[in-house]
Amino acid sequence: MSHILSVLVFFPALAGLLGFIVKKESIRAYGITVAAIEFVLSLWLWFSFDGSNGGFQFIELIPLIPNFGVNYYLGVDGISLFIVILSTFITLIGLISLTIENNLKNLIVSILFLEMTMVGVFVSLDAVLFYIFWELSLVPMLYIIGYWGSELRIYASIKFFLYTFTGSLIMLVGMLYLAYSYYLATGTISFAITDWHRLILPYDIQIWLFVAFFIGLAIKVPMFPFHTWLPYAHGQAPTIGSVILAAVLLKMGTYGFVRLSLPIFPDASVAAILPVAILSLIMIIYTAMVAYAQEDIKQVIAYSSISHMGVIVLGTFAMNVEGIAGSIFLMISHGIVSGALFMLVGNIYDRRHTKLIKEFGGLASVMPKYATIFGIMLMASVGLPLTIGFVGEFLSLLGFYKVSPTITLLAGTSIILGAVYMLRVYKESFFGPLTNEKNRKLSDLNAKELTSLVPLVLVVIWLGVYPKPVLEPIDTSVKNLVQLMEKKAITKEAKELLSSNREELEAK
Amino acid sequence: MITLSHYLVLSAILFCIGLVGILRRKNLLMLFFATEMLLNAVNIGFAAISKYYMDLTGQLFAFFIIAIAASEVAVGLGLLIIWYKRVGSIDLDTMQSMHG
Amino acid sequence: MEKYLYLALFSPLVGSLFAAIFGAQPKKLITGIVASALLFVSLFSSLYLLGYVTSTGNSIHVKLFDWISVGGLNIPFGFVVDQVSVIMMVTVTTVSALVHVYSIGYMKYDEGFNRFFSYLSAFVFSMMILVMSDNFAGLFIGWEGVGLCSWLLVGFWYKKPDVTRDINPSISPSWAANEAFIMNRIADLGMLIGIFLIYWNTGSLQYNVVFKDVSALNIGLVSLIGIFLFIGAMGKSAQFPLHTWLADAMEGPTPVSALIHAATMVTAGVYLVIRANPIYSSIPDVGLLIATIGAFVAVFAASMALVNQDLKRIIAYSTLSQLGYMFVAAGLGAYWIALFHLMTHAFFKALLFLGAGNVMHAMDDELNIFKMGGLAKTMKWTAIMMIIASLALAGIYPFAGFFSKDKILEVAFDSEHYLLWFMLWLGAGMTAFYSFRLVMLVFFGEERYKKYGFHPHEAYWYMLLAMLPLAILAIISGFFEESFEHFVTMLLPEYHFHVHGITVVALIGITTLIALSGIGLAVYKYSRGGFSEKWKDTFVYKLLINQYYIPIIYEKFFSKPYAELSRIAWKELDLRVVDATVDFIANVIYKTGFKGRVVQSGNLSKMLKWMVIGLITLLVLAIVYSPVR
Repeated sequence: MSHILSVLVFFPALAGLLGFIVKKESIRAYGITVAAIEFVLSLWLWFSFDGSNGGFQFIELIPLIPNFGVNYYLGVDGISLFIVILSTFITLIGLISLTIENNLKNLIVSILFLEMTMVGVFVSLDAVLFYIFWELSLVPMLYIIGYWGSELRIYASIKFFLYTFTGSLIMLVGMLYLAYSYYLATGTISFAITDWHRLILPYDIQIWLFVAFFIGLAIKVPMFPFHTWLPYAHGQAPTIGSVILAAVLLKMGTYGFVRLSLPIFPDASVAAILPVAILSLIMIIYTAMVAYAQEDIKQVIAYSSISHMGVIVLGTFAMNVEGIAGSIFLMISHGIVSGALFMLVGNIYDRRHTKLIKEFGGLASVMPKYATIFGIMLMASVGLPLTIGFVGEFLSLLGFYKVSPTITLLAGTSIILGAVYMLRVYKESFFGPLTNEKNRKLSDLNAKELTSLVPLVLVVIWLGVYPKPVLEPIDTSVKNLVQLMEKKAITKEAKELLSSNREELEAK
Repeated sequence: MITLSHYLVLSAILFCIGLVGILRRKNLLMLFFATEMLLNAVNIGFAAISKYYMDLTGQLFAFFIIAIAASEVAVGLGLLIIWYKRVGSIDLDTMQSMHG
Repeated sequence: MEKYLYLALFSPLVGSLFAAIFGAQPKKLITGIVASALLFVSLFSSLYLLGYVTSTGNSIHVKLFDWISVGGLNIPFGFVVDQVSVIMMVTVTTVSALVHVYSIGYMKYDEGFNRFFSYLSAFVFSMMILVMSDNFAGLFIGWEGVGLCSWLLVGFWYKKPDVTRDINPSISPSWAANEAFIMNRIADLGMLIGIFLIYWNTGSLQYNVVFKDVSALNIGLVSLIGIFLFIGAMGKSAQFPLHTWLADAMEGPTPVSALIHAATMVTAGVYLVIRANPIYSSIPDVGLLIATIGAFVAVFAASMALVNQDLKRIIAYSTLSQLGYMFVAAGLGAYWIALFHLMTHAFFKALLFLGAGNVMHAMDDELNIFKMGGLAKTMKWTAIMMIIASLALAGIYPFAGFFSKDKILEVAFDSEHYLLWFMLWLGAGMTAFYSFRLVMLVFFGEERYKKYGFHPHEAYWYMLLAMLPLAILAIISGFFEESFEHFVTMLLPEYHFHVHGITVVALIGITTLIALSGIGLAVYKYSRGGFSEKWKDTFVYKLLINQYYIPIIYEKFFSKPYAELSRIAWKELDLRVVDATVDFIANVIYKTGFKGRVVQSGNLSKMLKWMVIGLITLLVLAIVYSPVR
């Protein structure tokens, strides 16, 4: 299995193509089987992964255009490993929970294709390959929102596509210039991200390139003020689309910060801490407020996603092991929790064909299982200890406290405001007397829904109580990353910040 | 004495007449004539410069252009006749099916 | 020994999970019995551990496994049983076990019987984590865990609709639950910041490491740590200004109020200050601040209890007031006295609440004490036990409250904070008054309930039996003062009194005097029909009955503006500005294309014109910019 990563990337797409000849009745089972095999493969990747090695593993390198340094270059480290597993896991769970009947075959093929692009982004070590997967991921998503979405689907899908596409084009320009700078510095051209990691760029070039990458990544995250495509996309997308969008696609942006921005432009990143932190702060507080005002459950969760992504970005820009590792863990936990929440909203939407909070009330008495699972996910979302949500949020804030206590204090309001909007939704829809007659006959979760949700609940509690198996490889790789940054740093501020972190680490 | 300049001036005058023809005429047939004038203006230039530099390449090009012009007229006139039979007019303003 | 530690810790969890299996099913008596039995297992293990720690003087320290280990941060699931935590364990499990038994009767006809026991045992588990943890992160786990269980249990009767404040000041159980959770979250942020400060300055969150290193830090930093941790404590222990949730939390079932909102969870803040005594000992100024807030709350809460007509709210305010007393002791450095009062208070306050539960049962969940009266005839045992609890609360010799509360007053006097002493002294008088006002109105005098058609009855025998140990403890636990002091001061700093002899006797006399006069006044007034109706029109009465208008102020100045601001942020800012800008840019591009498309007229001669123009422009440019002239 030396080509495990290639298999992981291309298996779902090839199997998806084969899906076209599968009979209509069995396409669901086929899709789930493929996703399950893919998930098992990713688990196998985890078990054969060497947690004590912080570098890239399972490397595959085939030159594609040697003259321009473009290679088919794959590899995985502790940072990307768990996001890959998250992608395969969420795809599997999403497929299990699928309730759409209309043109199911195309939907399943699109999702499998999307899975290829997601895994591809996280295991690519070549910028061109990375960019190809990055852009390809838009296509199936565009199709999913545009075809299976609700009324405003065309507007939402085009907005999603154009907005993120614009951002990534700017990033592409940055990549090309970066390859050119690499050529100027070394005499050979290379698009390998690992080569770029070793490249030391002058400070002013770093700033420009950082900005170019930042725009592309920030739109994907999405950071304030580039976030407005997200509520539309979530509002219109079918459940499966929202689940994958929130759980995995958004993580591409924050993953990009960790994989590209930080190690390639350490000095510019350090210089950008304050502006980025302020943007994150606005994201956290402002979108939490907006979430509170929403009338639609799904929109609340969509805006809460933005708010949580703010904490992730903050943790990433803490520039110390605690913060970065925390933010990566938070990516995974947010993926699980927001995915589960969107699925739960989907369950109620399937029953009532509405997502408006005022239509509900007293659901806990007719749907106790549903209310329980929603409650668990809610608590994970507000970051209760011993659920998955706490570990990442705690570490991210802890990490950033080193950089700026004031900003951390303000960002910490996310634990208050998060509770405010989530508890409001929970109270309005689940507590109180059953006021709406239409809700009286609602059935509780059925076997299919439980099969998709219970694994998520188990993961939420397992990783909340015992996050070590995930945190350990992340920790090792992040330590490598921080060391690399320290070695590369050229400005005084960056050097001071990064070396003080190392000294503190060694002292402990 | 007729120098190179005389030829070039003639070529330029012819070219300008052709250009004006292209811009002003609305009849497709007249447009063809004007195009022919442009091509021949260039031909004069080529021939004159070829003589001046004692380099045959210019005259070679002139021949090429004559050949191309001939074939162009042949194809173009054919299309034009078909068009006239279909529509009954070869006025340029009636041909706007590519309107944006 | 570790076996007993794990037994004490995990029995409640097992009970909770067992009850949770039947969570959605109709009542099964077995869940209540199993959960209670497991609580007794936990109680006996705790007692065994207490015996062990007393006899050997050693503490037990175990590490289950690593929880979070990243960078320089290493947080294990570590538990410690030392003099302080074992006292807390015994207190918590005693009250919990008895409340569990009591609840079997109290919740007998409730459809959520199984669910209730699941939550209640989960609470005990969280509380055990809170008190047994050997590091601040573990404490925080328990801290949030009890918050969650409190949310679940306050909102236990979630089906009740929201009503206005005039009908029910707590609006609805689910509203009160959310309020409690959010208020606590505000405080938790403070605590988190405190934890961050500790981590970045000492590099660890383990108690032993932190307390060792804290002396080396500069005083400003330690003060900051102390203040932030205390903010956390203020939320859990409902100190001003985060106090409003506690009275509203009375919407939960009464056993919950007894266990969570009187005996255990609300004292977690006091426990934190006691546990972090090496931090607070080095910053007496912050300690004084804590003591001042405590003394203020002691009087402030007692004053609200004076006029309230709601049986449970009166007791809730009294809890608030007693927590203030504990903070005075802890703030002034008398940690062992704070812990002692915490323990005795847990016994008699739980007893008081359980008695109130009996009354509520008898009165079909009626809470207005003015609709009761003369209940002592039908509910003899409840009346006796509530009088015992009230005497203990009022601080009358030889009941438990006398020993612990008097000590706190002594400390306040001894440390020369006479104003604090005076406030506490005043508070003692008020406490005695409102306790006996309640007793008089509920158990004696005219039988007003007959007017409203109630048919009171005594509670089940096993509910009374569950209260009995608490009643006994409320009477005798004060006599353990000396051995208690000796035991806990092995870990906690001792408090050295400067005043001796006659002053102490005089102080005790004065305090007892005001307590007795409070009782006397209450008995005298309410045996003659209470105060006149005119009293209700006075400003003071209105202020007190409306809780100093603080809930209304919070609503007007915090919740409403926040909701409005959120709406503006969404409708005006997000949709009208941010998103509109994006759409504007898109529209500009789109419209430019729309306008520009006329160029493509499809007219050949126009195109040729454009071609010529282009050609000429290019020619001109070529000539102008040609390098060779």
